[in-house]
Amino acid sequence: MYQTVVGLEVHIHLNTKTKAFCGCRAEFGDEPNTNVCPVCLGYPGVLPVLNQEALVQAYLVAKALRCELSPRTLFDRKNYFYPDMPKNYQITQFHDPVGRNGSVDFLSPDGTVKTVRIHDVHLEEDAGKMIHAGDMSLCDYNRAGYSLLEVVTEPDLTSGEDTEAFLQSFQRLVRYLGVSDGNMEEGSMKCDTNVSIRKAGEPLGTKVEVKNLNSTRFIKKAVEFETKRQATALDGNRTIVQETRLWNENRDVTESMRTKEGSLDYRYFPEPDLPPFVPDKAFLQAIDGRLVELPLARRTRLLTAFQLSKEQADFVTESRFLADFFETATGTGGTGPAAGQAIANWLMGDVQKELNHFGLTLEASPLTATRLAQLQALLDSGRIHIKIAKQLLVAIFEEDKDPERLLKEKGWEAITTEEQLSPILDQVFAQHPAVVEAIRAGDVRQKGYLVGQVMQATGGRATPGLVNSLLAKKL
Amino acid sequence: MSAPVVSPWKQFQTKKEAYLAYANPWEKKIGSFLSFRPETPAPATPGPLAGLPFGVKDNIAVEGFPLTCGSKMLANVISPYDATVVARLKAAGAVVIGKTNLDEFGMGSSTDNSALGVTHNPWDITRVPGGSSGGSAAAVAAGLVPFALGTDTGGSVRQPASFCGVYGFKPTYGVLSRYGLTAYASSLECPGILSADLALVQSVFEAARGRDLNDQTSLDYEPQAPRPVKTIAVLGDLSDLHPDVRAVYDQTLGHLKALGYTLLTVNLPSLEFAVPAYYTIATAEASANLARFNGIRYGHRPVYSENHEDLVRKSRTEGFGNEVKTRIMLGTYVLRSGFQDQYYTKAQKVRTLIRRDLQKVFDQADLLLSPTFPTPAFVHGDQTMTEFQQKLADKSTVTANLAGVPALSFPAGLSSGLPIGMQLTAPAFGEPRLFEVAAQFATRVPVVPCPGTSLDWSK
Repeated sequence: MYQTVVGLEVHIHLNTKTKAFCGCRAEFGDEPNTNVCPVCLGYPGVLPVLNQEALVQAYLVAKALRCELSPRTLFDRKNYFYPDMPKNYQITQFHDPVGRNGSVDFLSPDGTVKTVRIHDVHLEEDAGKMIHAGDMSLCDYNRAGYSLLEVVTEPDLTSGEDTEAFLQSFQRLVRYLGVSDGNMEEGSMKCDTNVSIRKAGEPLGTKVEVKNLNSTRFIKKAVEFETKRQATALDGNRTIVQETRLWNENRDVTESMRTKEGSLDYRYFPEPDLPPFVPDKAFLQAIDGRLVELPLARRTRLLTAFQLSKEQADFVTESRFLADFFETATGTGGTGPAAGQAIANWLMGDVQKELNHFGLTLEASPLTATRLAQLQALLDSGRIHIKIAKQLLVAIFEEDKDPERLLKEKGWEAITTEEQLSPILDQVFAQHPAVVEAIRAGDVRQKGYLVGQVMQATGGRATPGLVNSLLAKKL
Repeated sequence: MSAPVVSPWKQFQTKKEAYLAYANPWEKKIGSFLSFRPETPAPATPGPLAGLPFGVKDNIAVEGFPLTCGSKMLANVISPYDATVVARLKAAGAVVIGKTNLDEFGMGSSTDNSALGVTHNPWDITRVPGGSSGGSAAAVAAGLVPFALGTDTGGSVRQPASFCGVYGFKPTYGVLSRYGLTAYASSLECPGILSADLALVQSVFEAARGRDLNDQTSLDYEPQAPRPVKTIAVLGDLSDLHPDVRAVYDQTLGHLKALGYTLLTVNLPSLEFAVPAYYTIATAEASANLARFNGIRYGHRPVYSENHEDLVRKSRTEGFGNEVKTRIMLGTYVLRSGFQDQYYTKAQKVRTLIRRDLQKVFDQADLLLSPTFPTPAFVHGDQTMTEFQQKLADKSTVTANLAGVPALSFPAGLSSGLPIGMQLTAPAFGEPRLFEVAAQFATRVPVVPCPGTSLDWSK
């Protein structure tokens, strides 16, 4: 039986307004070659100017991944020719990246927390895009020079499932930090996957690098495919060739792209146009200031504090916004497990339903954490019951008003006293003398009919318990 | 801001016709410009250099002008922007009237490596003007511009200045922004100033210097506290000097002594390794810097190509000259993985050694004097010096680039009718010392104008 060994090179586009080394907009989907300037087009004479925000974000990720932060970080040139790369070298970090020797935890699908060691975190620039159209090739340099952060892990992952879970956890982490949207479909996160297999206790086997993986699902499949392919080869006494393979998503297989012999010599050397960056105390303090509680830690804390189920904990910590929303709503509406359960149920149930119905995200919806807390408070105090609460939620979505105001405007407050209810009951009795008589004569089955009439007359605002007790009294 | 420069060149804007009558025949004779547009109107800014025309080496960007770098590769490129030094000089009131010839991408010391034109030395048109800023030196020496910008990677401002009998100034690395200078060897090169007027060199330096947000290796100018220069170091071992250079060198020592300076003989043991270290670092950086020229976004492109690889290969094969190809290949070779320690890293160590040796010199002396180049201007196609010997001759100039310190070549006299320059090197930010001693020297040996040049058109 073979053991799968996976190491990743994860690239994320950093969330900077401008490119890594010039002032051009870093924006997806604009007309080709509109976000370009002499610098990112590699005109003669231009020089790179390092984007400070990119550097801050790079250090922030390195810190979150528990890396040793470089006290003096350098850039290098990686030399290779390709039409989408204007300078035909990439500015990257080879000799002294922002962070080294880190580690990060993730929740494995088997329920245990596992740790992946981080080899290094380094900042670099992206290339443009080459589009082949018929017998022509076109270049779009809008993406050339985007801030790209590469996180290289040690080969610590041992299955396709874990690899997928790790990547999803990593996506959440960069989103929590606010440094990237981590979207693989749009290409703001990419991952080259190194897979090898070995028998337990043996040294690492020959690795194969798989590229062209644009979803975590494909990565899981690719790891599983490679494990099988390599096992078949070894079982058949064939050796594994060190090579780069491409994922073919139509056939669910990997295909050979180039072997080690054909690999390039990148001739790395220090970038003479950028002086070393030495983070000072203020810079490092700013990094600390931007560090947030990471998703896994937050999940553990909320799970315990509110006695959430695993599903609830996963749901409310899926994004930092949602987790903040959850904590604000529970904080305002009372603390402890009851509030947590209530808010989690709202979020997973009716709120989700209304978001789908109105086609909104929670961020863009009129429902704020405070409004949800207010809604729950009305429910807790008995001023409304659950059916009205659900109506109020819809009203918030429709009218973008606070629950208290909506309650007044709609007159939906619950009828909770006998004085309020008594005249309504008398009216119903007067309208249905035959029914009243029948009940008094012993036909108790018709009682439900009267309750229904009362509820209708009050627009559902009457508390069912109160209706029953008063009804009994009057009968 | 400093006082406006007093110069007959202030008349340039109003005497253009007379100027052209003077300049056109000269330019026809020497071919110093690759593009010459004296009609360009001066900026309206009333700066210290108001109305002064100047030439710019054609590897420095000037908006709207070609930026050929003397290469077929970029023969059709028009710069979309101004280099920072150019923008600052324009802001000080000066006007670019042309782009000057050079060795392709600054690679050479004769300007004969230009793919786009031949430049002759105004003192003797059978001879080269030096290089790589040969066009700038020739234009200044012929009186076509009061000053010109060059670039100095290993002596490319100072050596042609020496050959043409003008001042050639290379500042402390970082003080003049490199933004807009087409990169050849980024860690070594910087813009430089050529002029026959030492005061003007200083005014131009003042107007152009200082930190530039577009160049992160640029620095604010923090001159060393002025102190009178007393001691000048000279090298103990100066073999292989051409007799004419030897003669002027010996006279120079005499003049300096007469001016009251103490001469101190020193040795720079690391000088022996300066040229190999220089060419290793320069070509390594060049191999990456010139990789961007591939015919895709701009520049020379073949008539037909099969695919993008073919396009790049043909563009570069057709676009680059032999010297450029040699240096790119050399640079690629020294950066190969597994060989870096042997070449590139070792060269960087030599560089550190040279810096230290120079510092030791400056611990004992205020300046270092040496001949700028071991020979006077040589004739076109001269076979007495091989390519290799020509490179070895850069020994005395490359030191300043490796150490990032300022140096000035000043006209020290004539020998056999040709000008010979001497070079002063100072510690970083020691520019005032260079100007002080050169000014003192000129009181004894005034700059000799090139025969046939005149400023009469300004009258």
